[in-house]
Amino acid sequence: MDELELLKQDWKKQEEALPKLTYTDIYKMKLKKSSSLVRWIFVISILEFFLWASLDTIFKFSGMQTEFESKNLENVFTGISIFSYLILLYFIIRFYMNYKKIRSTDSTKVLMKNIIRTRRTVKQYIWVNISQICITMFAATIYIYFFTDEFSNGTTAQAAPVWLFIVVTVLIISVFAGFFALFYRVIYGILTRRLKENYKELEHLEEV
Amino acid sequence: MNKELEHSFVTHLEQNQNIVHKICRIYTSDPDSHNDLFQEITIQLWKAYPNFRGDAKFSTWMYRVSLNTAITLYRRSKKAIKTADIESFSFKIKAEEYDDQVEQQLKSMYKAIKQLNDIEKALVFLYLEDKSYKDIADTMGISEVNARVKMNRVKTKLKKILNP
Repeated sequence: MDELELLKQDWKKQEEALPKLTYTDIYKMKLKKSSSLVRWIFVISILEFFLWASLDTIFKFSGMQTEFESKNLENVFTGISIFSYLILLYFIIRFYMNYKKIRSTDSTKVLMKNIIRTRRTVKQYIWVNISQICITMFAATIYIYFFTDEFSNGTTAQAAPVWLFIVVTVLIISVFAGFFALFYRVIYGILTRRLKENYKELEHLEEV
Repeated sequence: MNKELEHSFVTHLEQNQNIVHKICRIYTSDPDSHNDLFQEITIQLWKAYPNFRGDAKFSTWMYRVSLNTAITLYRRSKKAIKTADIESFSFKIKAEEYDDQVEQQLKSMYKAIKQLNDIEKALVFLYLEDKSYKDIADTMGISEVNARVKMNRVKTKLKKILNP
C-alpha cells in the first residue's frame, strides 16, 4: 500500500515534533502512583474480601448465631464457619498467585489472559459468597417455619400457606442475589470492557 | 531504594522517550491524556525494571511494556474528545516539506489510524517502527502468520476508511 509506505517515511520525521522530557520530569513521573487496570481490580478485590469477611463477623456478633446455638445447632454452625474460612483461604491464595503472575513484560495476549484469570477468580469468590448467603437464608427460613415454637404452635388460620411462604422467601433471595449481580456487573463491566474487547480481537486472530 | 538502579532507569528512559511519545500519540488525542499515558507507562516500566536483565535491548523491552500499558493496563480517565483541533495536535505535518496533495494524504492517513481499534493501532505502530513480523508476533503473543494476516486486514481496513 503506497500510502502506508509514505506514512512510514513521514513517521521518522515526526520525531522532531515530539515533546522532550528532562531527566527530572521522568524522575518525578516515576514516583507517582499507578492508576492501572490491575491496580483497580486489586484494590476492589481487597475491599470485597473485607466486605464479605466483615459481613460474616457482623452476623456472628449480632446475636443471630446465639439464637441458633440455643436451638442445638452449634455443630452445624461450627461446620459452616470452618467451611467458609477454608473457602476464604483458598480464594486469598489463588488471588495472590494470579496477581503475582501479571507481568507487563509478557506478551500482550498472555498479559490479558492473566488479568482475565484474576478477574474470574474474584467473580467466583463473589458467587460462592452470594450462594452461601442465599442457601443459609433459605435454610434458616425453612427452619424457622417448620421447627420453631412460634410457628409450629400457631394455628393454621394465622399461618400463611406453605407455598406462599416459600415463594416469598425465594423472591426475596432472588432480589438480593440479583442486586449483587447487577452491582458487580456494573463495577467490573466498566473496568474490563476494553480489556475484553481487545482480548477477543486477539483470540479471534488465532481462529483464522 | 537503589539509587544506582533509579539513575540508570531514568537515563535509559530519557534517551528512549521517543518510543513512548509515539505510542501516546497513536493512543491519545489531547495533551492531557498524552501526559497521563506517558506517566502510567513510566510507572509500569519502572515497576518492571528490576527484572530487566539487560540481555535484551532496552528499547525492545520498552516496546513491549509500553504497548501493554497502552492496550491493556491504562485506564482512560477522561472521555475521548474528538474535535478538529485535537486531531491536529496528534500529528503536526510540516507543510513546507510536502506539496498539498501529499500533505492531505498524510493527514487523512493519521486520521484513519485514529479510527482503528487498540490492537490494530499496535500493529500499525510496530509496522511503522519497521519491526519484523517476528517481533510483532512476539510482542503481541500471536503467531507470525497471524500477524501477517492481521496486518493485511488492517491495510484493507485503512484503504476502506480512506476511500469509502
